[in-house]
Amino acid sequence: MKAVFKHWIIRFWLIFALPFCAVQAQAGATIEMPGFGELQLEGVPQRIVALEYPFVDALATLGVKPVGVADDNAPERLLPEIRESIGGWQSVGTRAQPSLETIAALKPDLIIADIDRHGAVYAQLQKIAPTLILPSRRASYAETLNSELVISRALGKEQQMQTRLEAHQQTMEKFATQLPQQTEIQFAVATPKNLYAHAPDSFIGGLIRTLGLSVPSINRSDSDEVRQIGLEQLLAFNPPHLVIGRYNDANLLQQWQKQPLWQLLSAVQNNHVYPVDANIWVRGPGILAAEQMAADLVSLLGQG
Amino acid sequence: MNPALRTGLILCFAVAAAAAMNLQLGAVNLPFTAVLLGLQSGHENYFIVHELRLPRLLLALIVGASLALAGVLVQGVIRNPLASPDLLGVSQGASLAAVILIALYPEVSSLWLPVVSLLGALAAAMILWLLCGRHASPIKIAITGVALAAFYASAIDFVMLTRPQNLNDALLWLTGSLWGRSWEQLWLVLPAVALMPLAVGLCQRLNLNNLGDDYATTLGSAVPQTRFMALALAVGLTAASVAVCGPIGFIGLMAPHLARRLVGGRHQRLIPVVMLTGALLLLLADLATRIIKPPIELPAGIMTAILGGPYFIYLLKKVR
Repeated sequence: MKAVFKHWIIRFWLIFALPFCAVQAQAGATIEMPGFGELQLEGVPQRIVALEYPFVDALATLGVKPVGVADDNAPERLLPEIRESIGGWQSVGTRAQPSLETIAALKPDLIIADIDRHGAVYAQLQKIAPTLILPSRRASYAETLNSELVISRALGKEQQMQTRLEAHQQTMEKFATQLPQQTEIQFAVATPKNLYAHAPDSFIGGLIRTLGLSVPSINRSDSDEVRQIGLEQLLAFNPPHLVIGRYNDANLLQQWQKQPLWQLLSAVQNNHVYPVDANIWVRGPGILAAEQMAADLVSLLGQG
Repeated sequence: MNPALRTGLILCFAVAAAAAMNLQLGAVNLPFTAVLLGLQSGHENYFIVHELRLPRLLLALIVGASLALAGVLVQGVIRNPLASPDLLGVSQGASLAAVILIALYPEVSSLWLPVVSLLGALAAAMILWLLCGRHASPIKIAITGVALAAFYASAIDFVMLTRPQNLNDALLWLTGSLWGRSWEQLWLVLPAVALMPLAVGLCQRLNLNNLGDDYATTLGSAVPQTRFMALALAVGLTAASVAVCGPIGFIGLMAPHLARRLVGGRHQRLIPVVMLTGALLLLLADLATRIIKPPIELPAGIMTAILGGPYFIYLLKKVR
């Protein structure tokens, strides 16, 4: 009897509820974009163009393949697992100046753009296709995760993203238990000429703090996400652990390592300087990249 | 046929050909019929042709012609072939204002950039005027302008160094580009078009000016007045162009030179020819940025600098 009842419920669900869900999804989402009005979507977008790396992270997380990506014509800048997940896409040029013609030729039904980089061409993007414009550059960890959630809402996959975000949180908590809590860590990117230190409010700063570690305050205000610093300034706040993102071997550290001041850093004296791949750490903040970074941190600092 | 007229017609033809190429070529290549069809609303190429390429083409024509004309006016006043609108510090003033907005106030919408840089350009021109006064000699204007330009440039460097995280945006703007500009920006440069006929009205006076202040005065030309009007026009033309496209370099230097070599220094011939030359240079530069390696789009300012740098060195050698 119970089985039949269950059976009936399933039937009822299949006949009435499922089509209703489909209609719901087809009606499309309405998304509030502060400063840019409201985005009204008809149906679920199928042909998506993403103009910043973190948006691609969100799409890969949801298992959606974009038709076009502003990848700077350098697909290797995307995480290997993201590249694999989204498969073949058409490059639409650089993130700074994506080719509007190429985007138009792809006939997208949703463009995901960055407020900072693409705010000035929002009107034109909007003429090509409904455009979701979100903060991505200079966005904090929380803002980035929120952007991913907004993208999932536009794609009618909010539930899936919620689940993924919960899993993400659990992953982070698990990683946190493997890390020495309250350890102070400074992340910085070394380019051939400069060292850019990431502040507590940057994406990486937020990630590190989420993992129960701390980030030294390097600015008068923490909201200046990134700051260029010299060797003396680095020594002045002397972080016990130094994680250095490098794009390749040609970077500033090669010169600094020869200087006596470098040897005075306690991170250097205690062997707490860790090189990581700046491509993963800086270019594509997002869920997948964050988990990769946390895994990196565990393997570098982990307590077994 | 009159050789100057022939040169003018050839240039007109070249500009028309470059314009046609600009409409046809890009990340998506269109045959000419598709371009014509694309001008009609609702056609599948309407966006690419009417919303992207046509306004960008018109903008390249106006901005190229404006910068070149400003170059001729400044060179006419300063009487030095190495002079260019950059000498007035106007584009650097505009750049400083733009960089301050980009680097220090990243939260402000970039839609304000043209307005802010226009104000920066006009403020720089006012400062130059206040320092030099109405009766300054060309050399005083030039030296003051260069000093101011250098000061603004160092201020730009300072702002960018204090805010390295916004460096890329600032550098992109400072290179000068036509990317993403459309009809809205075209309306902003239209005042520059209104200034062009005024420059034609100055031809006779500028010719006299070229003889030297004493001769020009003896022949009945009010030299300081001519100088002021020509520079004011150059400021207006440069300010409108820079506000919309950023400081696209070298056109104001190259175009006057090429034009002088083609038709000589009489302003009645020089002014139309230089506007065509400037427009042609910018059209070709913008076309090159779009077709070299699509879908990558480089800023047009990079192209003019690649051409302009060597040309400037050639000029320096020749002048010496």
